[in-house]
Amino acid sequence: MYLLHYLIIIPFIVGLFCLLVPKKLSKLVDSLAIGGSLATFYFIILTFLRKPVEWFYDDLLLLRLDNLSGFILLAIGLFGFLIVLYSLKFMAGKERLNEYYAYLLWTIGGAGGAILANNLILLLVFWGFLGLTLYLLIGIGGSEATPAAKKTLIIVGGSDALMILGVGIIWLLTGSFQMENISVPLTGPLPTIAFISLAIVSFAKAGAMPMHTWIPDCAEKAPIPVTAFLPASLDKLLGIYLLARIAVDFFVMNKAMGLLLLIVGAVTIIAAVMMALIQHDLKRLLSYHAVSQVGYMVLGIGTGNPIGVAGGIFHMLNHAIYKGCLFLTGGGVEHRAQTTDLDRLGGLAKLMPITFITCLIAALSISGVPPFNGFVSKWMVYQGVIELGKGGDKLWIIWLVAAMFGSALTLASFMKLIHSVFLGSSSTTTPSPEPKRKEVSFAMWFPMAVLAGLCVIFGVFAYKVPLKNLILPAVPGVSFLGFWSPGLATLLIIIGIVLGVIIYWLGRIKGLRTDTAYVGGEIIPQDSRVTGVDFYDTIRDLATLKAIYRKSEKKLFDIYDQGTRFVFFFIRGLRKIHSGVLSTYLFWSLFGMLILFIIMLFRI
Amino acid sequence: MAKTLFYFIVFPGFLFTALIGLLVSWIDRKVTARVQWRVGPPILQPFYDFVKLLGKETIVPQAGSKFTFLLSPLFGLAAVTIVSTLLWLVMISPEKTFLGDLIVVIYLLAIPSISIIIGGFASGNPLASLGASREMKMVLAYELPFILAIFTPVIKAQGIIKLGDLLQYQWANSIFLNSWSGFIAFVVAIICMQAKLALVPFDIPEAETEIIAGPYIEYSGAPLALHKLTRWMMLFVVPIFLVVVFMGGIIFSGLHILWGILKYVLLLVLIILIRNTNPRLRIDQAIKFFWGPVTILAVIGVILAFLGI
Repeated sequence: MYLLHYLIIIPFIVGLFCLLVPKKLSKLVDSLAIGGSLATFYFIILTFLRKPVEWFYDDLLLLRLDNLSGFILLAIGLFGFLIVLYSLKFMAGKERLNEYYAYLLWTIGGAGGAILANNLILLLVFWGFLGLTLYLLIGIGGSEATPAAKKTLIIVGGSDALMILGVGIIWLLTGSFQMENISVPLTGPLPTIAFISLAIVSFAKAGAMPMHTWIPDCAEKAPIPVTAFLPASLDKLLGIYLLARIAVDFFVMNKAMGLLLLIVGAVTIIAAVMMALIQHDLKRLLSYHAVSQVGYMVLGIGTGNPIGVAGGIFHMLNHAIYKGCLFLTGGGVEHRAQTTDLDRLGGLAKLMPITFITCLIAALSISGVPPFNGFVSKWMVYQGVIELGKGGDKLWIIWLVAAMFGSALTLASFMKLIHSVFLGSSSTTTPSPEPKRKEVSFAMWFPMAVLAGLCVIFGVFAYKVPLKNLILPAVPGVSFLGFWSPGLATLLIIIGIVLGVIIYWLGRIKGLRTDTAYVGGEIIPQDSRVTGVDFYDTIRDLATLKAIYRKSEKKLFDIYDQGTRFVFFFIRGLRKIHSGVLSTYLFWSLFGMLILFIIMLFRI
Repeated sequence: MAKTLFYFIVFPGFLFTALIGLLVSWIDRKVTARVQWRVGPPILQPFYDFVKLLGKETIVPQAGSKFTFLLSPLFGLAAVTIVSTLLWLVMISPEKTFLGDLIVVIYLLAIPSISIIIGGFASGNPLASLGASREMKMVLAYELPFILAIFTPVIKAQGIIKLGDLLQYQWANSIFLNSWSGFIAFVVAIICMQAKLALVPFDIPEAETEIIAGPYIEYSGAPLALHKLTRWMMLFVVPIFLVVVFMGGIIFSGLHILWGILKYVLLLVLIILIRNTNPRLRIDQAIKFFWGPVTILAVIGVILAFLGI
């Protein structure tokens, strides 16, 4: 047995045990799941420290851990463990726990396999398997989640067909399935088709437009840990990993394909965040950001220069961290308040201080506020875009403005979230009884706190911790001379805050008096309050945007809906043939067979 | 390290910026008073105001989150101090610039707004929530043309993204304001600056006559003093940013210093005049204004810059 095998086999076997254990022994399932994920994480760390690790079958290099796959694997292990830990409390008492933990563990194993695979066929197998576990995990959400699960399966699973096509073309061109042998120049139609189909696969997985529509639906219906684990972190890691592989390793990029990536990136950033701005549901709002942030990663990789690519990859890692954290805090809110409707939440900051602070840190990170981690990776992406401009590309200003303005829009929608959920006045119509609304238990806040802590560490010690050890080895050729030093900036911010505190201290801050809010003497009715939900209605009602929003609410931009409509239009005639009369079917079968025979006859 | 601390706390950081901020806010009040045929306050008035506020009792609203409410003013102050330190250090020694400090400054300049917004939200007052949401919408509105305008000089300077290099480029060639694209971008930036400083006609988030100072409504005593101080410092720092980007900054030698200060005062007087001769817009009008004509103007500037005009 090799170390690399453990990473894949352990979660599979433990997952299988989870399925076999009788339902009554739910404690045993819990401990199996947590033990399995912890063991996997342990072996991942062990392997990571020994990289590069390779495993040959005969003389085929099948599994390989290099610099790029190394830190992604590390992230998968960490997230897997944290999510299982979180689920212990969150999912307690829910139905089908055996299946849930089994699928979760299999996902960890499958993801490990997909990241480690050095053979395209092997990658394809693991990739397909991950689509299946994703479908099953969403299905855990009950019958309500079935349509969302189906949609996901069709988009993500359907794109696997494209992956087969892409891999097939690569094989045709190079005669090899081994990743280390593949380097195809993008000339002529065949390589371009292969590149585009593989790019679409990664878009579908990561959720870039226009393949993103499964994410909001899935986030709304699936259990929150599933969303936090899959669409928010794991699928980003995998999708962008694939994109980085094809854009950096497999193909020699040309201008046109780079432009394609840049357009997809910029459109994704702006369009998705505009949708997020008007959402009324916590989970849907977060899910649109899970789409929007993919834009930065695609943009970064699309620039094609080392710092941009490194920025894109770093953003992928950062996104997995803060978006995972945000979904987990969302789960905490749902767990306590029994709702994620922004209209019915409010004033939770006092009751759930840890959830509030972790959520605030993650929200500031995702908005790219310095000195948190989101700022560093976004800054690197911007730098990549500017480098592009120095290379003579005139369109760089569009990508830059899209990225920077998208960041402001992100901030806006998170301010709305913070206000409606945690600050503002508390809601009187929340269904849950008052005493239940308190801080969540350790197993739930610990994962959030770890992730929020990572947001801070990856931002403040950006160069020393993540960049030097994880990201830059994977992308050679990035120099950080004259890079802004987030450590110093943080120190200055802290000093600034201390100065402020001194001013507080000089003033009469000790004599704090608490009083009711002043609204100019008006009496506010009990049932009226500012929820924050309609903050951006002014923007929604702008003439041009209004039309677009209305169209998108009708799902005119949903590739799945349009696809369904298209398919149903096509098969309208065929449906009539499906009458259920056996003799007709028999006739058609015979008729078909006859035609086949005739064709064969003529060929001979 | 000690040097950095000195830069940050004394000059050109906190103390310096705060003092000039106090002075500048006096100029603002004095000129406003003269425009309105009043005498205006004595020069130390802002200082008196600040000290007086420190001595006042601090009242915390019952409904809000106390911790967030008190903490948020501090972040705005820290951010504006860092920006000021950065800008002045770059002007004093342009070679000490670092990669992408322009972007860092743009980001840091957004933090005071964030601190006002979060502070307003945390006060649990409906009027504050309204005001803070308007502040957020204002940020969205002006940020688009502002980014376009600030990057117009970058285009003209062939992708220079360090403030120090931008300065040296201007000293070697001519200031960006001297070209058509630079001029248009400068006009756009002035309009955006007015909104960034939340002054009339874009004081929609505060709108004293309508929502009683919006996000500030629950603030009193020392926290209010900090908010005020941050705003006064912004009144100093944001125009200086434009002076650096468009007007070649301040050169520290002999008469050049005076000339540099004149550039700032010119901008300041412009701000004050705009603020005294305009009525307040509604928030939807402001968004339409910024995303419509102002953005179009900014785009024209960008196109001209690409053409090299």
